[in-house]
Parts: sequence; structure tokens; C-alpha cells
Amino acid sequence: MNGTERIVIEGIGVVGGFGCGISDLSRALTEAAFSPGTFDLSTGSGTVRIPAFQADDSRLVEFIPVRTLRRIDRFSRLALLGSHLALADAELPEAERSRLGIIIASGYGPTGITYAFLKSFINDGDICASPTYFANSVHNSAAAHISIQLGAMGPNLTVTHFHLSVPSALATARLWLAEGKAQRVLFGAVDELSELIGYVRYRTRDAGPAVPMTPLRTEMETSIPGEGAAFLLLARESAARCGYCALDASTTGCPPISGIPLPEPGLLVLGADGCRESGRRYAAVAQNARVACYTPLYGSMPAGPAFDAAAAALMLKGGRVFPSPGADFRDFPATVPAGGDPVGGDRISCLTLAGDEAYGLTTLGKLSGTTGECAKEE
Amino acid sequence: MSGAPIAITGMGCICAAGGNLSDSMEALLRGERHPAPPMRFASDHPIPHPVFEAVGFEEPPDLLRTSAFALHAAREAVADAGLDRKTLGSLRVGVCVGTTVGAVMSEETFCRGYLAGGVPDMAPIHRILRSNPADVIAREFDLSGPRQTVVTACSSGTDAVGIAGSWIRAGLCDAAIAGGADELGRITYIGFISLMITDDSPCKPFDRHRKGLNLGEGAAMLVLASERVLRRSGIRARSFLLGYGSASDAYHLTAPRPDGAGLRSAITEALATGGVSSASVAFVNAHGTGTPDNDRVEGRVLHDILPGVPFLSTKGYTGHTLGAAGAIEAVFTAACLEIGKIPANAGFETPDPEIGVTPVREVTTVEGTVALSESLAFGGNNSVVVLGKA
Amino acid sequence: MTTVEKLKMILVEDLNLEELTPADIYENAPLFGEGLGLDSLDAVELIVIMQKRFGIEIQNLDEGKAAFQSVHALASYIEGRLKTG
Repeated sequence: MNGTERIVIEGIGVVGGFGCGISDLSRALTEAAFSPGTFDLSTGSGTVRIPAFQADDSRLVEFIPVRTLRRIDRFSRLALLGSHLALADAELPEAERSRLGIIIASGYGPTGITYAFLKSFINDGDICASPTYFANSVHNSAAAHISIQLGAMGPNLTVTHFHLSVPSALATARLWLAEGKAQRVLFGAVDELSELIGYVRYRTRDAGPAVPMTPLRTEMETSIPGEGAAFLLLARESAARCGYCALDASTTGCPPISGIPLPEPGLLVLGADGCRESGRRYAAVAQNARVACYTPLYGSMPAGPAFDAAAAALMLKGGRVFPSPGADFRDFPATVPAGGDPVGGDRISCLTLAGDEAYGLTTLGKLSGTTGECAKEE
Repeated sequence: MSGAPIAITGMGCICAAGGNLSDSMEALLRGERHPAPPMRFASDHPIPHPVFEAVGFEEPPDLLRTSAFALHAAREAVADAGLDRKTLGSLRVGVCVGTTVGAVMSEETFCRGYLAGGVPDMAPIHRILRSNPADVIAREFDLSGPRQTVVTACSSGTDAVGIAGSWIRAGLCDAAIAGGADELGRITYIGFISLMITDDSPCKPFDRHRKGLNLGEGAAMLVLASERVLRRSGIRARSFLLGYGSASDAYHLTAPRPDGAGLRSAITEALATGGVSSASVAFVNAHGTGTPDNDRVEGRVLHDILPGVPFLSTKGYTGHTLGAAGAIEAVFTAACLEIGKIPANAGFETPDPEIGVTPVREVTTVEGTVALSESLAFGGNNSVVVLGKA
Repeated sequence: MTTVEKLKMILVEDLNLEELTPADIYENAPLFGEGLGLDSLDAVELIVIMQKRFGIEIQNLDEGKAAFQSVHALASYIEGRLKTG
């Protein structure tokens, strides 16, 4: 097995505030239309309506019968939907499923069912705690549900590490494939906007006047919470039946004094999500680079970088840059290409900044050669 | 992960058996255990279930107890490795930590306040946000390498060690601090009792009359390094990480697959990646929680794949430490390889004919240079590491 | 409402049997394995449901297994326990 063989993204499955499926994401990226919904949040002083990018998981029943879903909570439902969409997009034969490795990355994990578990004993006493809710609140339950539904007996990993979750888990996905630990890896990032997370965000972020989400206006707080699932089916190039692009590297860590080592020009997709503190850091890192930012299409969440990777995959396949939503880049010290501009290189990198000066950088590359078309537009 | 062995240059451990690895091993070899009703929290369950708390350990107020455990074990491991800050700073060092509680975004007091319609104090949330155990360790030692928090339930610690080994093999970093940490609190306690898989008396792994597990808490960390780092820095290896395997049952959220297919696959992969045969395995540190299902399935697999190989569960001394378990058991395995002895399987008295094999009942000399440590997790994850004597 | 009818409603609601109505549940069909097709996780959930909805404590899984044969069997068990207090 060739240790330097490229890793290919064979299929993409996404659900979020923009819709459900790779076609919806592609359309949202092309139109750059900013359209969050709303979320009614209980607070100590009554219900507050906040803007939010909510995901609709109703298409899950196209893949899994209602009966089977009865004990499965929303976080796992989003994960199951993302996973099935990616497999359908790649047209992966059913016979291949049993050998899949599965990796889930989530910033906060299944907070909805965790809160439900706490409520079960807060309300009715310790002896009335729900075992079903507890079992589902264990962080690897989504990965378990996917492996059970698919009959996938390969390795199984879940990573929960706030904003480093996606780049960190993608590094392990690449390693598993390079080592031959799995033939294919179904990687997915999931975050749900539960009542609990909504409330924590409400208490920890400045709630300014309702404005459009403009992550590249770094002196303002404009983040809007999002949720959803973004899944990538990964395979070694020699085994891949088709592909959007290659996943060439994924790194996490702290930068040396010289700064974050950004790959040579192509395009840098920023995970800036309207949070003021990180906005300034993104501006400092991205100085003089060629950048784009798509978080206003799916919202602020640690799973965001996986959606950025999906956008990068579409751009590498199509050869054209999507417009960054929101025209207001005036303060941002970098070039922001217009929609339709050429990608301008063979590589796109996705940058995420986390606490403690830590960062994550995922680099995707254009496929050369003859890896064919199998991506299905829904 | 096949290829050159990864050196284990330092180890640290804290659990109910002791505040460091040496004290813990001494307690295990004395056959001493102290299950007791929880002291650090209360529950309105009518019958208290015995647990294994790390008594006497107090976390600082600004950190989750889980992360304080992680830091404590990491400090011991780094000191054991003889790595000073200057050397650490000159290397690219990663951190990979397994946990359950350390990654949970909720806290009971906060949720009670919110549920009651109040405006709860945000301190518990801020503590969680600054307490990711891998970040806490990276901050302490100023580490610049890759980071990961593994949340594969009961196999998290084993997976973290295996994954960190892969990072080093692939050249993503020169060295890594890898392990697991978990605190015991009310939420975990209540949750496990609701599943009816806990024992209201001290646990009896592999025993015919076993009724369930006892929960525990603690942490263990290993400092892993490439051979190149060893040569350049002159530090020594205590033992080696030879192989790692993991596979899923794809069966049920909480129950193991009756035929143990996932565990069989994980053991096979671990041995293959380690380049060792089953005949060379000196002993196995089993998952051995004391639940009817786990011990039956695991015992049958050991009977089939590793007949005659001595095995034990150390959970009779530590309780089930969840995210920390795989790491605590890896360091126990390495320490046992060093001294050529394994402790007795605490809590075992009567063989179970359904299992067909019995763990060691007394301190046992082991010859041989290779051992396995295995973990079976909720969700059906099975993970195994192969360790080799230096 | 009879115990059987109340129990069927509780099963549909608390076990989230979304696609079923109480009328769809056969009183004498097995709860576990075939019939309603519940599993070991549902069994421990049922024990909590007994506590929460009826105030009945079931100490261990063996006691539960005997009672949980069918809706009819469980209803009889509940009535018996409530009578003896």
C-alpha cells in the first residue's frame, strides 16, 4: 500500500440551515443568500426569539423507518441523515458498508439528550432517571447508531474538542486510510442547537441588535448559532470510485513564532463566524491572503469547518469560487474574490481558530487524473 | 499502525488504589481494595452503590476534577520521562486524551437553575469551557503539536493511546502525552444505576455470581516518543507500544455483541499491527467490568483466541473509570511487564462455567515480553493495545 | 380507564412508539423479542416507568422479566402490587 497515496472525498452529505443535501448547499453557496430562521429560547426573563440556522431532519425517514428511530435523539438523527446522504451521494454499494470506519466530530456533543437526561431525574428524583436518555447522552452514541444501522464493523471514533474537533478528527481519518485500518472512512461533523446550547450562547455572547452575520467585519459581534451535519465519505485514491477532490492534510496545534504555516496561494476559507474575539485573530492571520468565508450560510458552530470543507470540495471540482455572503469586507485586510472567479490554484485550505492560540488547518486539493464522476445531484 | 515500536518513556496514574503509579501498583500487589459508598456526593437512591473514589484528591476551583486528574497524571508522566521544559519545547509534542465527563457540556447546578426559570451563575459553564483535558495539558507544558479529545466511552483511554502512537508513526509529532481521565459525579452514578448494570456490593469480575460494575475515577498518562527522540535526548524507554486494534460490534447501544466479533477483530488487528503472535502474549489486562454480559462475552473470546494465557481485571481495585480506564490499565500492563508479575483479579471467587476460563486468583509471575490491554465500550467499540517489555 | 388501557397509552408515549396507537397493541402479544419487539434497554426503561407512573419499585431485572411478559401480564402485576401497597 502506497503510504503517500492521496485521500479522496467520494461523497458529501450535508444538512443545515441552508437545506438538505449537496444540491441545496451548492445552490446556497452560489446564491450567497443570507436566510436564517428563528429559535424561541426560554430564559429567566421569558422567551426570547433569536436568529438561528436550524436544520430540518425530516428527510431521514427516506433512509430509516420511523419505527427504528423511536429511541434516537435529534443529535443522532442529524448524524444518521448526514451519513446516509453522503453514502447516497457516493452511490456506495451496500456490500461496502460493513468495512467502513466511522469518525464523528462534534464541538459539544449530544447536549439535547444530555439535558433531557438531567431533567428526568431533576423533575422526578434520582430513581426516575431515564436509562435510555443516559445511553444516548454518551458522546459516541451517534457513531454507534450509524455503525448499527449500516452494519459497519470497522474502527469507530468520536472526537469532542470544541472548535478543534473537525480538523483534529480529519487528521485521524487520513491516518486510518494511510495505515489501511479501514478501506473507507465515513467522517461526519455534527452539532445541534439544543435549548441548553442556545441558552449558553445567549449568556456568553454579546447580544447586539439583530444584524446580518458579517464575519469579516471583525469589530462587531454578529454570530448567529447554527446546527447540522456535514459528512464526507473518504477513500484512498486507488480505491475511490469517484471524487470531488483530495483531502491532503489536516493539522491542529499551536503555531510557531513565525505564525500559522499557510500553504501557498490558492484560497483560504476562514472559519470566522462572527464572534468578535476570534474575528480579530482571523484578520491578523489572513493578512494579505486570498480568503473566503461561508459561515453566514450555515451559522456559528464548531462543526462549521466540515461545511467549509464541503464548500471547498465543490469549488475544487467546479473550478470557480463561490461568493462570500455579505458584501461588507471593507475592514478586512485580505483579498476576497468575487463569485465566479477562478479558484486560482490547486489547493484550498480551511482555517479554524480555537482557544489558547490553537488552530486547525485542513487542506484540500484538486484531483488530477481520471477519478470519475459519480456524485449524484438530488 | 504497523511499523517501529513507539517508546513509552514516562507514566503517571491516579486512582482509588493510589495517588501515583508506584503506590497504585503496590496496592494491587497487596490485593488491597477500598470500595465504599460515595463520599463526595449524595443521591436519593435508597441503596448506596460502592464506588472507587480517589479520596484525598482535591481539584482547584477553576478546573473540572477530570482535568485536574489529567494534569496530575501528566505531571507524573513527564517527570518520570525525565523531560524538562526546554526539551519539551524543542520537540513537536501532541496531546491525546480520552474522557467522558471532560467533554460534557452540562452541569447539574446550572441545569437546575435554568430549568427552574432562573438565571443560573455561569461559573460552571466557564469552568467547562476552559477545562478540556487535552487543552489543559497542552497549556501546562506549552505544547504545539496535534490535539485530540477522544470520547469513545469506556474505550477512550485505549483509543487515545493507540491514536497518539499512530501520530508518532506518521510523523505528525515527535512525542505525545496520551491517556485518559474521568471524575465520578452524581450524573454518571445516577445514569449507570438506571441502566441496572451496577453492583450494590463490591464488584466481582468474571465471577459466577457477578452482578455488575462499580464506578471509579482517576487518570493515567503515558509519554510516548519516537526512537529518534530517544536517541537524540538520551531518555530511556520503560516499555513499548507495539500495536493497536479497534473494531465495532455494530450491534446495540449498551449491550456487547454476544459472539464477541468486534473484540475478536480488534485483538487480531492489534497483534498483526504489533507483529506479534498470540502465542507470545504473556498476559491480558481484561476490560472485566463485572457485568454479566461483558465478562461472559470477553471471557469466551479469551477462551477461544488466547487459551491458557493468564488474564485479570484490575477494575476490582479501581472500579470502572470510564474514559480513564483504558489508560490506567495500559500503565498497569506496562508496569506489570517491567516486574514480570500480575496482581490477583480482585473480587473473583467462583468460576463461571459459561465463560470456561478463570482469571488469576493470586499474584502470578509472568514470563514473556508482550501483553495486551483491552477495552469494550458502550456503543460497541472494542479496542486493544499491545505493549512490549523494554 | 382500565389498567390495560392506561398501560398501553403509557407504553406508546414513554417508549416513543410513534407509529403505533394503543389500539394497535395486542394485550397478549409478547412485549420482548417478537410482538412489540422491545429489548434490554427498554426493559430497564420500563422499570423506571413503573416507578414513575405507578410508584411501583422493581428491584432487579429478574423480577422485571417475570412481570413483563405481555401487556396483560404487566397490567395484572401492576394491579397486584398496587393492592398490596
